[in-house]
Amino acid sequence: MALLEVNNLDVRFAVRGGDLKALRGISFSLDKGERLGLVGESGAGKSVAAFSILNLIAKPGYIAGGQILFEGRDLAAMSERELRGIRGNRIAMIFQDPMMTLNPVLTIGTQMVEAIQAHRKISKKEARKIALDRLQKVQIPSPEKRLDQYPHELSGGMRQRVIIAIALLLDPEIIIADEPTTALDVTIQAEIMALLLDLCEQENVALMLITHDLGVVSQVTQRMLVMYSGRIIEQGPTREIINDAQHPYTQGLINALPQMGEPGERLFQIPGSMPSLKNVPTGCPFHPRCHFATEQCKQAMPEYVRSGNVNVACYEVANLIEQEKRMQEAES
Amino acid sequence: MTSPLVRIRSLEKRFDLSGSLLEQLRFENGRFRRKQEAVHAINGVDLDVQKGETLCVVGESGCGKSTVARTVMGLLSPSAGEIHYDGERIDHLDGKAVQPYRRKMQMIFQNPYASLNPRMTIQQTLEEPIRFHYPQWSATEVRDKVHEVMHSVGIDPDWGSRFGHEFSGGQRQRIAIARALAVDPEFIVADEPISALDVSIQAQVLNLLMDAQESCSLTYLFITHDLAVVEHFGTRVAVMYLGRVCELADTKTLFATPRHPYTQALLSAIPRLEDDRPNHIRLQGEVPTPVHLPSGCVFHGRCPYANDRCRQEIPQLIATDGGGQVACHAVEEGRL
Repeated sequence: MALLEVNNLDVRFAVRGGDLKALRGISFSLDKGERLGLVGESGAGKSVAAFSILNLIAKPGYIAGGQILFEGRDLAAMSERELRGIRGNRIAMIFQDPMMTLNPVLTIGTQMVEAIQAHRKISKKEARKIALDRLQKVQIPSPEKRLDQYPHELSGGMRQRVIIAIALLLDPEIIIADEPTTALDVTIQAEIMALLLDLCEQENVALMLITHDLGVVSQVTQRMLVMYSGRIIEQGPTREIINDAQHPYTQGLINALPQMGEPGERLFQIPGSMPSLKNVPTGCPFHPRCHFATEQCKQAMPEYVRSGNVNVACYEVANLIEQEKRMQEAES
Repeated sequence: MTSPLVRIRSLEKRFDLSGSLLEQLRFENGRFRRKQEAVHAINGVDLDVQKGETLCVVGESGCGKSTVARTVMGLLSPSAGEIHYDGERIDHLDGKAVQPYRRKMQMIFQNPYASLNPRMTIQQTLEEPIRFHYPQWSATEVRDKVHEVMHSVGIDPDWGSRFGHEFSGGQRQRIAIARALAVDPEFIVADEPISALDVSIQAQVLNLLMDAQESCSLTYLFITHDLAVVEHFGTRVAVMYLGRVCELADTKTLFATPRHPYTQALLSAIPRLEDDRPNHIRLQGEVPTPVHLPSGCVFHGRCPYANDRCRQEIPQLIATDGGGQVACHAVEEGRL
């Protein structure tokens, strides 16, 4: 059984004039110690997906349907009290902006001790020892000193290390990281990513990494999901998708990267932009921007088809697979 | 060789932190002392931008790349040094004298959500610079020009009566580019024009900038932190660290054989699609604050090759075999 299993998750935002469907039936799973990447552009619903796992979506958002099974128990149906025992304890979260997630008026040590004591009945002294140990793990220089410092005394990279240390405090099973390095410089980003990767491997923690950076996903994760307009359109092993993407959107996303083009030549571009939640196109949400779109694509959302180890939701890919099958049958 | 279009000579820019005279006074050891502090954003930068090229300036936050852009445009006045445009010194000009240069030099900003006036329609936004620089034009001529630039950046001219907030990020950046192109500039400073945009939109805007360069024979000074974009887009690259240029070379040369230890670390940190495992050069520590600059080479505290000379003497840009320039004692002495 998978550690985390999300089935047909539906998340909506109740606004004037009806519900906005932010997630429309997404399903995926995460195994123990696995590293999963969630890729998509802004508005694709990747952060909503991450937040809804711990039921952190603020009103007017709500989970309208589906299951989130963590070790067999449904997080979506849990009471707030039960959920609190899991949040930060078994499933930890790392957010994008380290300045927003640290309390500016408490020292690092106070915040860390508070987090431990919320879940475990131990003395302040012992909690401080655990905190110190985690700070050492994230390779912060002079960790004893940091415990008595305030967040503003640390640099951006250092703050993100503290956040990772806090996430590791209670030996979680899963770390959900929402764009953990977007606010950081390239060299710092590389260091934080390497650190996160090492720690997850050492401690055998599963990582769910939400990012828009395909380079980071390809370096860090084993499996990836590509999201578009509230749906997962492609999922499978990261290497396979990066090397041979099936869905036209994923292909476009990869080919649009400057490193894929010849220097000085025009880049491949996907026309248009992601539809807003207010007017999602019928059928496949990508069809207005897709080169291969046919009448069929405008009618209904395509089912998933399997190509290699990758699941893709696209009529064009399905047709190609069908054709290949027929050719093979004709040959034999 | 023809003379460069834009010439930056030993440019320096300091931002005063200490405030008014009363705030500067400190009472120490029984006497009053005046204490002044400043952010040293740029510390002696020399750059030439050749006609028709794209000079990319890269570096991490706080290296002074945006300050260079703003100083060149005259949005900030330099603390020391000179800026020349087409052979004329422009940094000390003001009022009417600088006006012709304002038309020739345009700027595109990072955040298209902040750079468009929310109370003006797109038509008004685009008309304003034309009316200002070409006061003799008739209303029809202005309108035709606006239509032409909107068309050239792929915005439907019928949308002129809409406001900025009705557009997506990518469309807004197109409008910002249209505004820069409206007055037929020769030189465009683009300060992180695509950082705030999504990947698929970044490609659209980059293509647009390349098309505009070709059709209007523009020269770009392109400020960015994204090295993948530089590799694709730049003719030459200047790498900045703490207010100094540490390496300057052709894009190809720089990416093939980076000489400066900082450039090497920076290039190794780009997340690439090909490698499974990040294998980057780890630098010690973090960027020091530009308030108290390190002595000697500004990079010595994080450099694995630093020696006593690096800690005392500031390295100057020297020519390398590849045709580039690098400011590093280790390279000069052949230690690297």
